Amino acid sequence: MTTGPLSKSMPLTTKLSHTAVFWIGFCVVMAVLIVAPLVLPEYWRRFLTEILIWGLLAMSSDILIGYTGMVSFGHSAFFGLGMYGAAAALLIVSPPNLWLAILFGLGGAAGAALFVAYFSTRLRDIYFAITTLIFSQIFYVIIFTWTEVTGGENGLIFSRPHFTIPFLYDTRFSTATLHWFVLAVVAGSYVLLRRIMQSPFGMVLQSIRENEARTRAIGYPVERYKIVAVMLSGLFAGLAGVLYAVQNQFAAAEFVFFTTSGDTVIFNVMGGIGTLVGPIVGAGFFQLIRELLSRIFGDQFPYLIPLGVIFIVMIIFLPQGLLGFARRWLNR
Amino acid sequence: MTEKWKDEEGAQNFWYRGKVTRRRVIGWGGGAIGAVMLVPAPWRAAFGAAKPYKIGSEQPLSGAGAAGGKTALVGLQMAVDRINQMAGIMDRPIELVIADDESKPDVARRKTQKMVEEDKIDVHVGGFLSNICLACMPVWEEAKIVNMISVCLDTTLTTSKCNRYSFRVHDYAPAQAVAFGPMLAKMGKKWHIAYADYSWGQSTRDAYAAEIRKNGGEVVGTTGIPLGTADMTPFLSKISGDFDGLFGIFFGKDGVTIGNQAYDLGLAKKYKWAGDGAICESANLPALGNKIDGFVAINRYVPIFQGALDTPHHHRFFDEAKKRLAKIDRSGPLPDRYVQSNYEAMNALKHGMEMSKFETREDTMKLIEALEGLEMKLSDDFPQGDKTLRKADHQAFLNQFLYTVKGGQFELFEMVPKDKTIVPPACKFPAA
Repeated sequence: MTTGPLSKSMPLTTKLSHTAVFWIGFCVVMAVLIVAPLVLPEYWRRFLTEILIWGLLAMSSDILIGYTGMVSFGHSAFFGLGMYGAAAALLIVSPPNLWLAILFGLGGAAGAALFVAYFSTRLRDIYFAITTLIFSQIFYVIIFTWTEVTGGENGLIFSRPHFTIPFLYDTRFSTATLHWFVLAVVAGSYVLLRRIMQSPFGMVLQSIRENEARTRAIGYPVERYKIVAVMLSGLFAGLAGVLYAVQNQFAAAEFVFFTTSGDTVIFNVMGGIGTLVGPIVGAGFFQLIRELLSRIFGDQFPYLIPLGVIFIVMIIFLPQGLLGFARRWLNR
Repeated sequence: MTEKWKDEEGAQNFWYRGKVTRRRVIGWGGGAIGAVMLVPAPWRAAFGAAKPYKIGSEQPLSGAGAAGGKTALVGLQMAVDRINQMAGIMDRPIELVIADDESKPDVARRKTQKMVEEDKIDVHVGGFLSNICLACMPVWEEAKIVNMISVCLDTTLTTSKCNRYSFRVHDYAPAQAVAFGPMLAKMGKKWHIAYADYSWGQSTRDAYAAEIRKNGGEVVGTTGIPLGTADMTPFLSKISGDFDGLFGIFFGKDGVTIGNQAYDLGLAKKYKWAGDGAICESANLPALGNKIDGFVAINRYVPIFQGALDTPHHHRFFDEAKKRLAKIDRSGPLPDRYVQSNYEAMNALKHGMEMSKFETREDTMKLIEALEGLEMKLSDDFPQGDKTLRKADHQAFLNQFLYTVKGGQFELFEMVPKDKTIVPPACKFPAA
């Protein structure tokens, strides 16, 4: 199902060269993404930043889908709670504080993730997926109808916080600086998650994916590992929600609706499950194709039809996603 | 066929005597181009194509709000075509840049950014779903572009979330409640309110509850029904007891559902039945049939020719709108308040642009000043009637129509003049 990095028996020289190739590739991509806002027009700058945010959300769900073998439809709830948590901080505290928004957002997402994880990790496969979907819909209904607190259907609008380093630095975000901030967060999250997935904890998650019964038989408390995996995943999804709120200055109930989770799964499949970076590529590919279709064929073009066809073709001919295909092509 | 022209002096010089050389043609051509470039701007404007005003409009043309969005666009396009036929605004035509927001706030945000940054629109007219209007407000504020809201009803747009760049040329729930309050008090003292359980329904419920109490009435209970509920029976069957009237706050297909099911459960006969005009919008009438007979409603626009609506301006608007609506919907619906408010929003903008001599986005502040306090008079531009765009909160006040439905037809029984719908402003513009 995946290309998880279980490679203990690999010779040291090959491993080193792979590591070197990885870091060279990472630096090149980072350099391109750092320079991008300096050369791109305003609209495309924002667009690229948004791709990174959706990519972070997709990457967070890869922890469950790709590494633990649990398909989650609850990521819209974590993303939304992160967004509303940030909104709460930005509305309550004056002047709006970026770090407090992140803290509140992560708190909201973590709370939701703990709640969902506690009940859903006792279940497997389709039952887990359905339970997470139901939980996300419960959060959606609460947010949609609890107008006094969440703004209901209208959502919440707020000011963008400044970028601050307490007592040292305080500046307004421009589109370029916001892009760099988002890039730093996404890149940091990627490096951290990659490290976690390569750690013994990550290996246990992959073991659960491969054979849950055997992992339990060895003596690992599978449920606890799953709870931590859901929470970790929820936390990074919440972080994506915070970034979205900071970029767009609004929080809306629509993001908590399960279709956001559906999009996240699509990003994963398109980019490559179990690769962490693949879902970011998938998010970018999806957004870019959508944008190009609406530019070429006009604003009212039903882009979902060709996108759906592309998705089906990819599932049939590129089951490992764009990144899996690229890897195979490079290794030939 | 004779070829006498060849013998003429000019033709001989031109074609056969070598007097028109390539060098001469280039010389005269260059001179002509230079002369055109030196012609003063007014001449160019008179004889050439003037640079159009780019007016952006974000509408839901797909997704949940598609039906209403397409109707709204008819009104907007109608106003733009009419303005362009009459030499545009200050001799400059209008180029409409339409963006389909897909009824999703994130898509709306992206497309409004595109309108601002790539299409370089001068002003914006549009916005159908309130959540999308609210989500896009920071874009207009940041880009310093006038945003003429054309459908969004949410109260907070011109109260707690108002800003200097956004205007609303149509009504909002508090003003409608003020207009309807005295009539409701006459109909009955005790009321039960059934409403669509989300932000618009809730804020409208609060506005009506306050007005019913202010007019000496009492709200004995409220029932919130989730948006899009196909079977409202479980909710409606709980509505019973000693009260005089049932007040409904719904729109779209929820309006059809409540209309039919309130009748089926006997609520429409047992109690006085009144509510927001969106329940019995003309598009809903075929689906409601006779079950909505006797319903008393309020709306800013009703497609009838009675009382204050029987004017030549309204006739012209109605005929043209009906013709255009038939092109997008074969059932030939009558114009509704979405067509009207989009049509009038564009015309209000035209008046403001002319008054402020608006040229580009740089003149946004002048346009804002022109729109603040704008008085609109009954005319072909404003067929609904007079209205005032209040300076303090950029909220318009306009005539309201109280009417009932009989045999599938609207019957107007009162027009509440705009001055009797005034609500104190509750907006504090954020500092620029």
